[in-house]
Amino acid sequence: MITCDLLVIGGGPAGISAAVAAGKAGLKVLLLEERERLGGQLTKQTHRFFGSVAERAGTRGIAIIKDLETVVAQLENVEISLSTTALGIYEDGVSTALKSGKMIKIKPKAIVVATGAFEKFLPFENNDLPGVYGAGAVQTLMNIYGVLPARRILMIGSGNIGLIVSYQLVQAGAEVVGVIEASPKIGGYLVHASKIRRLGIPIYPSCTIKKAFGQDRVVGAELVRLDEKWKEIPGSQFTVDCDAICLAVGLNPLIDLLGQSGCQFKYIPELGGQVPIRDESMRTNVPHLYIAGDLSSIEEATAALLEGELAGLSAAKQIRPGQSLEARMEEVKTHLRALRSGPVGEKIRSGLSKLTGEALPTPSPRTNAIDELSRTGIASPANLAGVLPDEKRKKTRAYAVIECYQQIPCDPCVHNCPFGAIKPFSDINDLPIVDFDLCTGCGQCIGRCPGLAIFTVDETRDGDRAKITLPYEFLPKPVREETVDLLDRSGKCVGQGVVKSVLNTPKQDKTTIVTVEIHRNLVQDVRQIRVVQKS
Amino acid sequence: MRISEHPILSFRQNKEVHFTFDGKEVTGYEGDTIVSALHALGIWKLSESPVHRRPRGLFCAIGHCSSCLMRVNGVPNVRSCVTPIEEGMVVESQNPRGDLYDHV
Amino acid sequence: MNDDKTIVCRCEDIDIETIRKLIDQGVTSLEEIKRITRCGMGPCQGKTCGPVIAREIAMKTGQPMEEILSPRSRPPFGGVLFQEVLEGIDDEE
Repeated sequence: MITCDLLVIGGGPAGISAAVAAGKAGLKVLLLEERERLGGQLTKQTHRFFGSVAERAGTRGIAIIKDLETVVAQLENVEISLSTTALGIYEDGVSTALKSGKMIKIKPKAIVVATGAFEKFLPFENNDLPGVYGAGAVQTLMNIYGVLPARRILMIGSGNIGLIVSYQLVQAGAEVVGVIEASPKIGGYLVHASKIRRLGIPIYPSCTIKKAFGQDRVVGAELVRLDEKWKEIPGSQFTVDCDAICLAVGLNPLIDLLGQSGCQFKYIPELGGQVPIRDESMRTNVPHLYIAGDLSSIEEATAALLEGELAGLSAAKQIRPGQSLEARMEEVKTHLRALRSGPVGEKIRSGLSKLTGEALPTPSPRTNAIDELSRTGIASPANLAGVLPDEKRKKTRAYAVIECYQQIPCDPCVHNCPFGAIKPFSDINDLPIVDFDLCTGCGQCIGRCPGLAIFTVDETRDGDRAKITLPYEFLPKPVREETVDLLDRSGKCVGQGVVKSVLNTPKQDKTTIVTVEIHRNLVQDVRQIRVVQKS
Repeated sequence: MRISEHPILSFRQNKEVHFTFDGKEVTGYEGDTIVSALHALGIWKLSESPVHRRPRGLFCAIGHCSSCLMRVNGVPNVRSCVTPIEEGMVVESQNPRGDLYDHV
Repeated sequence: MNDDKTIVCRCEDIDIETIRKLIDQGVTSLEEIKRITRCGMGPCQGKTCGPVIAREIAMKTGQPMEEILSPRSRPPFGGVLFQEVLEGIDDEE
């Protein structure tokens, strides 16, 4: 029998964070991870994270996990056991796990369960054909093993996962034939939607999948439009050719282990389905049992990191009373509240209020009307007009166009402007506002925006030439003086331009910053370039 | 198909690992799981389903869904999506259901 | 809508029509459906089919999702060989 103060089950962001917090508080910690390496879903996240700079926003998930691994490895009192599957949590406080072909027993003083989540399944005909994948599987194949899951993929679901995985598929060299969404509006962050729209990937709102075609593997799919009551519109079926169907229709918390322990659950769809009942300090109804991360509510990794720390601190406080951990616990709770405070956090807030029985916090002001942008992922002229300087200012100096129209918890742009030209936020959900008196159009902010939503425009010269600078994360990289295709917000080619500079130093961390000379009339249309493949 | 170049990630070409799939000699690389190696070779159908013998492939890739169960070195019901390949490994489709009698 | 071939449970190859017929016959809890069909008793332990069947029950009976209880989960999580259990016992002695 192995003994320790704290057993942490799950080595994703929440579990590592819990182990680190408890380890720093002096606890003897054992961290179990089923895979051969730590990191959970973070190991597949090649995109930059949203959130607060204080919590590593603007950094790629794969870099965040490297940092976390270093931190946890430095703690001598935290033992990491990889390739170890937790099997059971018993009523007498003993846990079992499978390691190197042996069932081991562990008796900890407390447990943090951070087992994450599992892909939701969707009933449709032939949904079990080879080629119907969960989004996590697609990410695992292409971002861990370097294997392209398929060549032409249909994405089901336009939440952040569906949008991000679509973008990653294109980066890996696949084609995404479309993203379908049952709801009338895009589920994920609109900046993610805009990123894939300008690659030419269509998004179909009010649409669902009827069946997959194929004998031994997927060769296509039949889709159908939905009316405002989510009922199929007769005769609206259409088919697409694809060799894989990727399901990104949400996640269910992985509660199996907790279910063995006597932990109580509640069905709260806003949090992902059946979720464990817990208090604000992540403690369940079972003594000495804590939870964190997607297991407690399906959210972004930033929330998982914070919840993990909170669970680790709560456990430390219970096992080793007398340490002054409360101040940090309150700080973490404050961060979590801020993260969930904006319009996109409304669902989580509503779910949490069902969990704790607290009254719903006042909803933040928002319009319920579905505008063009939230239906298509393409900014309207009205959206754009709100973020541009006046005509006189356009002529005097280059300037930044920040196409960030949706309140999301994210602030790296504010902290990365060397001239303080992006007005400081009073709330992490604020929209960036550029002070064009201070903005020089230097472009420092472009590669720091996790939404890749910042562009700089230089139309100071006379004549019909102007310059646009934009982020580029694809292969092949363009070279100077090369002629490239210019794509608009829907991915349509609107002309050609000549590359004037390519910035790709380690500082850009693989978000290449490209400046292209284009026709003056196109500066507010071009948002993507395409390198012309030489045959 | 393997991703040869990626704008963000770099994949090291590890040592070759040889194993058999349904009697045929195939090659993967160190660090591959059975599924990633087979997938790279264009093999998507891993087994057939237990009752209707429908083709089944990868679904979750984290060892939780049962869609990828195969017989490995004679042992049935091995989760091929999380099992690393080893030199000389004998990987077979289990059609339709894994049976322990095969192993004993 | 032809749902005959729509698989809800990959582990045991159960289609949605089987589930719907059972609900029509009055079998309206996940626990009962599990015992009759084996949905939830395969290697994945109901992770794929559970939420889908719960939604079917809710749609057909009008019962709120909140009241549709998941079957009790018991150790071990995932498959374990007897040999692996025995190896652990050897270690303790």
